[in-house]
Amino acid sequence: MLKRTNYLSHSYDKPDGHTLAAYEQAGGYRSARKVLSTLSREQVVDEVKKAHIRGRGGAGFDCGMKWSFMPKESKKPHYLVVNADEGEPGTFKDRTIMERNPHALIEGCIIGCYGVGAHAAYIYVRDELHLSKARLWAAIEEARAKGYLGKNPFGKNYEVEVYVHTGAGAYICGEETALLNSLEGRRGEPRLKPPFPAQVGAFGCPTTVNNVETIAIVPSIFQVGGDEFSKLSALHEWNDGGVRLFGVSGHVKKPGIYECAVGLTLRELIYDLGGGIIDDRPLLGVIPGGSSCPVHLPDEIVDVPNDPRFAPYNGKSVLDLPMGVDTLRGVGGMLGTCCAIVMSDAADPVLALHNLMRFYRHESCGQCTPCREGCGWIERILDKVIEGRGSIEELNELHEIASNITGNTICAFGDGAAQPALSFVRKYRKQLEDYILRGGQSQTRTLEA
Amino acid sequence: MPTFKLDDRDIEFQPGDTIIQAAHRAGVDIPHYCWHPGLSVAANCRMCLVELGPPPGRGPLLLDVLRYDAKTGEYVKTKKPKLVPACQQPLTEGMEVKSQTSEHVAEARAAVQELLLLNHPVDCPICDQAGECRLQDYWLSHGANKKRMRDEIVHKPKAVSFGPTIVYDAERCIVCTRCVRFCDEVVGDHVLDKRERGNLSEIVLAPGRQLDHAYTLMTEYVCPVGALTAKDFRFKARVWFLRSVRSVCVGCATGCNSYTDFDPRNQTVYRYRPRDNERVNKFWMCDEGMLDYRRIHTGRVLAAQAGGKQVAVDAGLDAAADACRKIDPNTSAVVLSAQHSNEDNFALLQLAQRLGVTRLFLSGRPEGEGDDILRSEDKNPNRTGVIGLCGLQTPGSFKDFAALAEQGNLRTVLALGSDAELPDRASALSKIESLVTIATHQGPFVKAARVVLPASSWAECDGTFVNRDGIAQLSERAVRPQGQSQPAWKLVAGLASRLGHDLGYKRVADVQAALAPQERSGAAVQEAGATA
Ligand SMILES: Cc1cc2nc3c(=O)[nH]c(=O)nc-3n(C[C@H](O)[C@H](O)[C@H](O)COP(=O)(O)O)c2cc1C
Ligand code: SF4
Ligand code: SF4
Ligand code: SF4
Ligand code: FES
Repeated sequence: MLKRTNYLSHSYDKPDGHTLAAYEQAGGYRSARKVLSTLSREQVVDEVKKAHIRGRGGAGFDCGMKWSFMPKESKKPHYLVVNADEGEPGTFKDRTIMERNPHALIEGCIIGCYGVGAHAAYIYVRDELHLSKARLWAAIEEARAKGYLGKNPFGKNYEVEVYVHTGAGAYICGEETALLNSLEGRRGEPRLKPPFPAQVGAFGCPTTVNNVETIAIVPSIFQVGGDEFSKLSALHEWNDGGVRLFGVSGHVKKPGIYECAVGLTLRELIYDLGGGIIDDRPLLGVIPGGSSCPVHLPDEIVDVPNDPRFAPYNGKSVLDLPMGVDTLRGVGGMLGTCCAIVMSDAADPVLALHNLMRFYRHESCGQCTPCREGCGWIERILDKVIEGRGSIEELNELHEIASNITGNTICAFGDGAAQPALSFVRKYRKQLEDYILRGGQSQTRTLEA
Repeated sequence: MPTFKLDDRDIEFQPGDTIIQAAHRAGVDIPHYCWHPGLSVAANCRMCLVELGPPPGRGPLLLDVLRYDAKTGEYVKTKKPKLVPACQQPLTEGMEVKSQTSEHVAEARAAVQELLLLNHPVDCPICDQAGECRLQDYWLSHGANKKRMRDEIVHKPKAVSFGPTIVYDAERCIVCTRCVRFCDEVVGDHVLDKRERGNLSEIVLAPGRQLDHAYTLMTEYVCPVGALTAKDFRFKARVWFLRSVRSVCVGCATGCNSYTDFDPRNQTVYRYRPRDNERVNKFWMCDEGMLDYRRIHTGRVLAAQAGGKQVAVDAGLDAAADACRKIDPNTSAVVLSAQHSNEDNFALLQLAQRLGVTRLFLSGRPEGEGDDILRSEDKNPNRTGVIGLCGLQTPGSFKDFAALAEQGNLRTVLALGSDAELPDRASALSKIESLVTIATHQGPFVKAARVVLPASSWAECDGTFVNRDGIAQLSERAVRPQGQSQPAWKLVAGLASRLGHDLGYKRVADVQAALAPQERSGAAVQEAGATA
């Protein structure tokens, strides 16, 4: 169901929308004031739970639930860490918040810190996002000048500081525990879990890691009320509440970021918001939320007979399934970051798969054997396929390699690399065979036309 | 004790154990590369994956994977259970773990094995690890498949010198980080780390550093493959020709448990390896100790000497007996050796008693560097043992002995070992009229001796050494006595019989039988667990 909203994006088309003045004029910082002056920490967490915000960073974990895992009392300081690494291919939503509505994130940090018992928030920003960093630094200065950050925000004796920490350009540093290592100045490698960050996080202290959008949407919860906010979503019953930023890129006429209530369908995202496919060509496939999700074909039919919640959608195209964490999971897909990559039939899925796998080979941190060696092997086989040296024998190895990566690694990168590979080989096997047997359709053997 | 089920076996565990820890203690091997009982858990190799029974009341966690049906030309979506690393998974009462009995585990391990060898150079014919390499062992036990990836492997630096002792081959490295963790956690020296990412990862030295702490050879030892090799051992022997005995390092008073690896064909010792002992050295040895095997074959006394000439041992014993017949308790002394075993020292003490010599002294190698990891400043393996054997008759120090000799008060001295604990006082030995030295190695006492009897080293005879903590440990004989040498206790017994005293020692067991229980290794000797 297409329902545009503007909780986060109200400032996006205003040239000075990123300033404190504009943010306050639009009602900014009222939520933080209200929270700090009237609510207890438990009440904050309860309200966020009611809003059913599923983590916007890709894994879809319930935000209020995650906050409730933080110790009630502890001798060590707590930290809130905001994941602004945004490295997932095809994903470009967080930077719009940081560039055009940075105060929403700062206000979210104030409430978040209060909610998890922290006095400091670190925003870990991918280094290449220069405007984002500049806007965040400026916003922090503005907020501090007003006293919203510092010793007594809104007159409450609850110190909150927000720091920007820049990464060094590794995709794996978006994985929350690798991010914590990187934040501490160590090599950006995922840690073993348990212990989870809520027990042992940044600098060995209890830590909550949330995505930029997850935190930036928090002030809106307190504007509307948790339950009301959740009900904005068509998937409220699925505990998948509120509004979120939907991205669409690739072969669409109007690529971009659009804020809508949760429950939008892929068809609406591609054809209504995205303006349809360039040159009105047929849709070849769509990856719903960043490259780590399985690809879907337009003729895929929803068929989940043993879950009554799917009754309204069974027999329909996946393009008409509301985009939610559990809806897509139910059909063997993944919502991920909710930023769809659209391919028309002008795209060459073999080259697209090769490009993806080149990325995963390059970005694997190299700890786990299956991911370190498996990603490299997959890329190598695809190298040969696109160079015209591939063989059916090796094509038949791809799914085996990927099946032995998924689930067998320390972090979710392994699944994020394997699942798209599995879906591409299954769904585009003909094109892959065609490449091997007849040289494929691409004249250039590169993704650029 | 709580128990869990590993395949069809019930195994006890201690609270806090991981699966692999409890299995290891019970003597069940779960295949592994990165896990080491003495290091933190990295869980990166994924060789130890096991399948768990679902938690009570819940179904198993399943993952989507694909099979390919060649008949129909279609992929088939299937599920597999989520496997967990046995090295990371803590145990709970009644947990059901499948290691050898799960097809999913077999598949995952075979895949890990194939992936580890994907970019491996497989240069076993010229690799010193061959024959004791986990890549070889697990390849045989997990599929033994032909290599499917036929392309050029990823090339990386080979034969990189990491320092005075170790050479690194990045192509053979499986990036298990055992070497990094060893330096970090045991030595406290962050001299190794990883660089690059993905399949370009390799181990590097910290900028401006060499791998040069006191435990560098342990990095080679913990390396499960041939990526780290010891300069000392490289290209010297193929391990399948070597045999091992359980020994005790005589490098210092710590008494680390070791294996002596020797080639029985040429009766040559090639290396020491640590032998696990929780009470003494855990899993480790120091570089000094590891390289101490070289003394077995260098600087040795291999023949008897009398009157400045090389003579047969019997003639040497006769000459020694002549010297001893003149013994006057007032002008004679016996020097015991902290380098020698209880057996050797005990025999000499017995003879001293029969001859009525009451002046006892103790010498050994000079002090050296110690630390709070393993190394003792006392570089002698048996000082505690010798002092124990002497009982109330505490032996005097080498310093006192040198002072006495300096004054010209010593006519006849019977000495075990050739070490002067204070090398700059060794000149005093020349003042002794008649010095009989029973020694394994050249040294001040041999130089000043009238009669020298060649003793077998610790590697050529069983012997008991009592470490600084009073633990008596047996070191087994590896090779045959070198040259004309004989075990020192045997030489002493021969000397005694020439002097009319029958000590009754024919075999080393005869001497041991005469030792008090605390002076024998008996219960104190620790059986080594399987080395991880
Ligand atoms: C390889 C990998 C990369 C990731 N990159 C990002 C990222 O760039 N930004 C992000 O917010 N989450 C990323 N995540 C997800 C984080 O691990 C974590 O789940 C998220 O930050 C939690 O925040 P949320 O609960 O608010 O979504 C990544 C995960 C993996 C496995
Ligand atoms: S799955 Fe890949 S990225 Fe994640 S820890 Fe393992 S090797 Fe590193
Ligand atoms: S050198 Fe050996 S111990 Fe070190 S990471 Fe490589 S394989 Fe492991
Ligand atoms: S610490 Fe002492 S006993 Fe242990 S290996 Fe080193 S020299 Fe030998
Ligand atoms: S032993 Fe390496 S993952 Fe467990």
